[in-house]
Amino acid sequence: MESSELERFEAVVLPHLDAAYTLARYLTRNDHDAQDVVQDASLRALRYFAGFRGGESGEGRAWLLAIVRNTAYTWRQRHRTDTLTTEFDEERHSETMAGEHPEAAVEAESERAALLKAIDELPLDFREVIVLRELEGLSYKEISDVAGVPVGTVMSRLSRARRRLEAALCAEPEDC
Amino acid sequence: MTHPAFEALLDAYLDGELAASDAAELEQHLRACPACSRLERRRRAVTSAVREHLPRFPAPEMLRTRVRAGARAEASRAERRRVPLWTAFAVAASLAVVALGSRQLALRGAAGEAITNQVLASHVRSLMPGHLTDVLSSDQHTVKPWFNGKLDFSPPVYDFAGGGFPLLGGRLDYVDGRPVAALAYSRRQHVINVFLWPAERGRTAGPRAATRQGYHLLHWATPAYTYWVASDLGLSELSDFAALLQRGDSAAAAAVR
Repeated sequence: MESSELERFEAVVLPHLDAAYTLARYLTRNDHDAQDVVQDASLRALRYFAGFRGGESGEGRAWLLAIVRNTAYTWRQRHRTDTLTTEFDEERHSETMAGEHPEAAVEAESERAALLKAIDELPLDFREVIVLRELEGLSYKEISDVAGVPVGTVMSRLSRARRRLEAALCAEPEDC
Repeated sequence: MTHPAFEALLDAYLDGELAASDAAELEQHLRACPACSRLERRRRAVTSAVREHLPRFPAPEMLRTRVRAGARAEASRAERRRVPLWTAFAVAASLAVVALGSRQLALRGAAGEAITNQVLASHVRSLMPGHLTDVLSSDQHTVKPWFNGKLDFSPPVYDFAGGGFPLLGGRLDYVDGRPVAALAYSRRQHVINVFLWPAERGRTAGPRAATRQGYHLLHWATPAYTYWVASDLGLSELSDFAALLQRGDSAAAAAVR
């Protein structure tokens, strides 16, 4: 790789490091793993960089987020124990359970903490579409590229994710 | 209870992802159906709460430094893989000529060369994910005691944050057939590794410089310690850093006397 290529890489990738770290943090739910995922992803990005022909800043961001997302998934597979714990959590916080005891969970915490908890308890598929849409403002098409699923799947996951958040956050119907 | 397919359409509408004709039809329905328009209000409230309150996590400065350093290490590795064999021979031949005529390539001898390569390899390895520090702290009073019981010497650890070279942490490494102390410092986005171990029979050596694969290495020996410093930082700034270390050691030695 020539040094001008390295500079181009740094210009495309480094401005989106906060977005990359935020996504990794939500996918791993852990600062330390998120750092390792982002560093790993940035090295992968460097290797694939010759194949990246986009010029606009938004394209670079979606491209990097796709690599971060795939790295985080590989990371989960490699760390089996975490995957098992997470699957257990997902089962425990399934839709019916969340619907049964929303008040106690929400009233105990501030809105921000309750929200973070609600997001962390979403299944991974749902968590990633929420972060990509609400925090990164990606279009359905961009999310479909990042997550590697059809636009229709993005649409239904996002909707189901929001319905779960609504159930978790709106303890009292008149709150919402 | 609404149909999930309708909810998904409503969400797509709120996200501005619905075609104009579908959006018009949906709006018409919302005006006519109180239950659906209640659902719409709830969705808007939840979505705006998420956008407003869901925290973003800024990348830690340390991560930024590591990503940059890692990219540079990877780029120089890729560059080396790409060099054709005949070019490598030509470069080696021209370097040999330069070495014969120059005093600058001061690191000579098979033993010195082997240590140079080990230090370089350790430096590059430390830039790979999760390898830079075993003890992560910018506090010299945390890093120094961490080595207790792990090495047969207690390495001097300085904090040069005031001089623009903050301490990142320390780790154990293995160079020249023995465990050594490795201390990581940073300068802007650059990582500096300091390797040190007790000097042999009090033999001192003056600062010498070498450049390998785009990294600069400095070596010197005080009566107490053998030092190696490696970084992709420019040679003049790296020399400033070495001078800080040497001043730190002289001050410590003077205090003992």
